[in-house]
Amino acid sequence: MRRVAVIGVGVTKFGLHDRTSAELFAEAAQDALTDAAIPATAIQALYYGNVVGGETEHQLHTGPQAASVLGIPSVPTTRFETACASSHAAFRHAVMEIAAGVSEVVLVGGAERVLNVSTAESTEYFAYASDAVWEQPLGLTFPGVFALIARAHMEKYGTTEAQMAAVAVKNHRHGALNPKAQFQKQITIDQVLRSAYVADPLKLFDCCPFSDGGAALVLASEEVARRHRKPVWVLGSAAASDWMLLGDKRDLSRVPATERAAAAAYRQSGLGPRDVDVVELHDCFTIAEIVATEGLGLFEPGAGGRAAEAGRTSLGGEIPVNPSGGLKAKGHPIGATGAAQIAEIVTQIRGEAGPRQVDGAKTGLTHTLGGNTATVLVSLFGRD
Amino acid sequence: MTESPITARAFFERVRAGQLTALKCGSCGELAIPPRQLCPACHTQAWQPLDLRGEGTIASFTIIRVAPRAHAGDAPYALAVVKLREGVSILGRLVDIPLDKVGVGLPVRFRPLVIGNQATVGFGPSSAA
Repeated sequence: MRRVAVIGVGVTKFGLHDRTSAELFAEAAQDALTDAAIPATAIQALYYGNVVGGETEHQLHTGPQAASVLGIPSVPTTRFETACASSHAAFRHAVMEIAAGVSEVVLVGGAERVLNVSTAESTEYFAYASDAVWEQPLGLTFPGVFALIARAHMEKYGTTEAQMAAVAVKNHRHGALNPKAQFQKQITIDQVLRSAYVADPLKLFDCCPFSDGGAALVLASEEVARRHRKPVWVLGSAAASDWMLLGDKRDLSRVPATERAAAAAYRQSGLGPRDVDVVELHDCFTIAEIVATEGLGLFEPGAGGRAAEAGRTSLGGEIPVNPSGGLKAKGHPIGATGAAQIAEIVTQIRGEAGPRQVDGAKTGLTHTLGGNTATVLVSLFGRD
Repeated sequence: MTESPITARAFFERVRAGQLTALKCGSCGELAIPPRQLCPACHTQAWQPLDLRGEGTIASFTIIRVAPRAHAGDAPYALAVVKLREGVSILGRLVDIPLDKVGVGLPVRFRPLVIGNQATVGFGPSSAA
């Protein structure tokens, strides 16, 4: 298999926009092409993530739509939908297309628009990623899914609401350093703990926001990437799935798909958790970050809450997690999130992250989780 | 021809009639909540329906305070993953249990619950409680 590099990244500001998701993607894609110093004519395929376009924009067929709006209507496009992990799944398949020798340059991206509909509507559409027959009719929500995980983690390991709040405070502190973040404002533990319950034990400030935004990556073969100023190499990229129904998950305090995807990505790269300098992971809820740090092997099962509270995952800590602000503060336009996480890790490895730069970051990891924990992707990145 | 012996529709018709039903693998004994084509343990298809007693304990729970539109009038309401005595687990809505009395390990008993004309899985207080 051929080596693959990321040679260009682009991300819109996350938050409220009055543009379509295709327009948001196109802005990010142009920035990624400029960053890669490569003409649009070099793109041989588009792999694209978009989740609720059918619901919020009455738009299906979003792959060619995005390519048309960008101005590259003739390239083959494929739209991926693995809930919140969609553009990370798109990325993995683009890596395989280049590694297999099919293409030299592939554009990866994703975008989402949800702030044009009410919170009640988007809450309902996001719940479509849980089971329509067994779970949606009970009134399950996504905060509800992670609240069930949180309760199980608290029961098994003694994780506290204050430990979860520490994740929110840390990610807002990081987000305040990111000009693209939806929230660039610090918050306190007390503010998190006093915010209203959404799905006990999760409160409003344990939850990431609804967001609009787009992200794009230019991927290239080694031959093309060698001509680029700072290629960041894909060292591993793996996906894993798990049972859809919450009742079928054997232990709600863990996410087996994270553990399986991480094991495969570490194996591909020859690296382990101790070799990673910086991590962007899926903190759709504060408990999700705690469970992910355990599943990725950064901390022992049950130790994630205490690690967050002790500052071990902060900028300046032993393993900085979500220097971008994460989904919590940077925002979570679900179709764009996986690509945006990769853009942040590429920026960190290039040493171009400005005030949120992790000193000397050479190796980075991204982790993206889909919906009810039934999809997870993990990728590893490094430089020459 | 090789349809799962309990389809989703058949499962919820039985729920409406007051019965929770599982599948038991005739080859390896694995239990599953239907529908399931192949046994996830031995990958054969030798399912037999098994009537569950409907008794179990709460494995985890949450209280939904911000609900989807169709359920907004019911909020706040509690959802729980219930581990049934036979070993399988299922998500259900708690009924007739005060929200401040809900806890992990609490014994509960299945009861049919119709939400918006749709039969769903409910759990109420255990007869032993």
